[in-house]
Amino acid sequence: MKNPAIYLVLALVALSAVAWRWQPSDVSDKPQLIWVSDDNPARREQIALFNKLNPDISLKLDPANIGVEKVIVQCLGGVGPDLFDCASTSDLATFVQAGIAWDVTDELRKMGLDPQKEVWPGLAPIGTLDGRSYGFGCNIAADAIWFNKDIFDEEGVPYPTGSMTWDEFIELAKRMTKRDSKGRVVRYGFMSDWWNWQNFTRAFGGSVYSDDLTRSTMSDEKNVQAVQFMQDLIYKHKVAPSPVDESAMATQGGWGSGTITYFGGGKSAMAIGGRWWLTTLRKYDKLRLGVFERPSNGVAQVRAYGRVTLINAKSPRRQEALRFLMYQAGREYNELINAQADGLGPRKEFAYTDSFLHNPAFPLETDNGVWRKSAENAIADQVSPYVSADVVGRIITKQMDLIKANQKSAVQGLRDADREIQERMHKELRDNPALREKWETATGRKL
Amino acid sequence: MATRRDGFRSALPFILPNAVGFFLFTLGPILFSLGASFTNWNLKSSPPLQFVGLRNFIDLLSDREFWLSTINTGYFLLGIPFAIAGSLFFAVLLNQKLRGIVVYRTLFYLPSFTSGVALMILWKSLYNPTFGPINVGLREMLDAIGLVHIDLPQWLLSTRNIVGLNVEEVGFDKSQFGLGAKDALIFMGIWMAIGGNNMLLYLAALTNVPEELNEAAQLDGAGKWRAFWNVTWPQLAPTTFFIVVMSFIGGLQGGFEQARVMTNGGPAGTTTTLSYLIYNKAFTELQIGYASAISWILFALILGITLMNWRFGNRESEY
Repeated sequence: MKNPAIYLVLALVALSAVAWRWQPSDVSDKPQLIWVSDDNPARREQIALFNKLNPDISLKLDPANIGVEKVIVQCLGGVGPDLFDCASTSDLATFVQAGIAWDVTDELRKMGLDPQKEVWPGLAPIGTLDGRSYGFGCNIAADAIWFNKDIFDEEGVPYPTGSMTWDEFIELAKRMTKRDSKGRVVRYGFMSDWWNWQNFTRAFGGSVYSDDLTRSTMSDEKNVQAVQFMQDLIYKHKVAPSPVDESAMATQGGWGSGTITYFGGGKSAMAIGGRWWLTTLRKYDKLRLGVFERPSNGVAQVRAYGRVTLINAKSPRRQEALRFLMYQAGREYNELINAQADGLGPRKEFAYTDSFLHNPAFPLETDNGVWRKSAENAIADQVSPYVSADVVGRIITKQMDLIKANQKSAVQGLRDADREIQERMHKELRDNPALREKWETATGRKL
Repeated sequence: MATRRDGFRSALPFILPNAVGFFLFTLGPILFSLGASFTNWNLKSSPPLQFVGLRNFIDLLSDREFWLSTINTGYFLLGIPFAIAGSLFFAVLLNQKLRGIVVYRTLFYLPSFTSGVALMILWKSLYNPTFGPINVGLREMLDAIGLVHIDLPQWLLSTRNIVGLNVEEVGFDKSQFGLGAKDALIFMGIWMAIGGNNMLLYLAALTNVPEELNEAAQLDGAGKWRAFWNVTWPQLAPTTFFIVVMSFIGGLQGGFEQARVMTNGGPAGTTTTLSYLIYNKAFTELQIGYASAISWILFALILGITLMNWRFGNRESEY
């Protein structure tokens, strides 16, 4: 072989020709919609049903480009998806302010849909800003307390039912925490996701902003009590794992956050979470689950979270994308979500059926009434127009990191968060005369 | 006779493709970002785009996050001398006339051609405070010498650092003294740099050191260390200077991948460097104007330090 490079080039050309000949045909007369959403296994079935009900459109999932910043930059650059999910009121504000969320208020009205009336009260605000609708709703989550029936049986503790106070709950969590002969915890009584801290602040009656959204209330007593309670679960009562303890737990792989897999793996007797956990927990063999209402000291409100699908305002296929919102409002989609247990379907009426309460495919899941009650009490997160929600999120996350690691008390951490949010709000009001005018009108005083 | 203009015309087709790319995709965006740094551009509909003069730069002076990120960036430069010394050490080792030396050289260069993200995910597991091999090994060693009560570092979960920098304010805090996420990233960076391009540069430089100089030193009775210190090391000065300059530039620009893959800039912002702050400001908070201003401050910082290196570092690097 005198010149191997020539043979190599020829071989590559031949392989390219073969690849070209065999490439799958992606040419279709159908308009193709791209939906940026998470890689929840339930999503494929939801897409398959849409494609079946809408044979003239092809819907595809794009889980790789999830993330507010990616979606905004791609949409502004003209290469964004047609549909994308929005998981919070703060994200919605960002999407709307970036000019990429299509205002579908009039379109929904023409289709005979009114999100304010038809979807869960806690979900509608995630797709609504200043009275305008930007989507319909994918699903809603409102948390309750999961418990592992086998662990309760093992300890001879009766299954918890109905509501209880936080003090009663701590005693239960202490009883369910198991230690070895050296005093090391081998199973925690309770686990929670710290990113979902608003579960606790809502439960204690706290809020991030004042009612008129003009000032931060992060350092208010109710928030401090809630976050101190979260810290005490780890360091005072020792019923929940610290960040280091969490890192020591091996988990089963798959979709879902660490807490789901820790709980599913029997590392904890109880955990606070949503019905959507079932999309992962159903895969655990022989796991017998129960659910009871989140404890309260007289405060019924639960944090609502979920997803609303928005339409890219710059998409050339906006009309086709509207069909997806119509699909989300339909019976088939809502019943599918309820059956998959991907939270609860967006329209509340479909949760008031016997098939929702008793799904014959999952006869052991007898607690769907608890999820429905949680959704009834759920309220969406506040978002202030006077300060960037992303900035506030980062400020609070930083303080939560320090509180969770026991480097700060809740009162100190929240006081610092409060101060930083106020500073930031002051800066944004200074830089934006229109916003400042709105703030001054709302508060009745000069900045 | 070919004129200068003829020469330019002949050269143009060769220069043009690269020049067009440079003007469109490098110089253009650079100038654009300079312009953006004097505006309030934020990718949002409100407030409307306005020229704000030096306001972004003035705001930076009182931005705690900016100063903490600058300090974090500076802290990561502490690893540079160790990375350079390590590169030189391994280059000297790999410059020996050994059987299979090519295999050794390839093995030591492995971190450079392995995916950075894959390496970072691997290191993240190594740093696991409870079952990561590093702490497991340290525990075994400490137990063996009877130091059973010493707490092991929590690595990526800890805000501590070896100089006791405060997490939230510019300054020091005794309670923060120890080993934490910052140090973990430095150690990983040293490991990645030791077998990287610096080692190759030193290796190339070592092969260019005239053999006669070492022979002359040996004839004069110099031992190996003396010959290295008085003959080889001075000959490596231009390479060392180049490596120092490039390491500082890379160090000041660095930290993004590590923060994105391993720590998300945390815990509590302790691994947020200027490059990660620029990303957060531009693509999370959508404040393009403000992020551009930080980019230009970073540029000025890099330029200043490079000029200082140039002014004080290359006095003896010309041979």
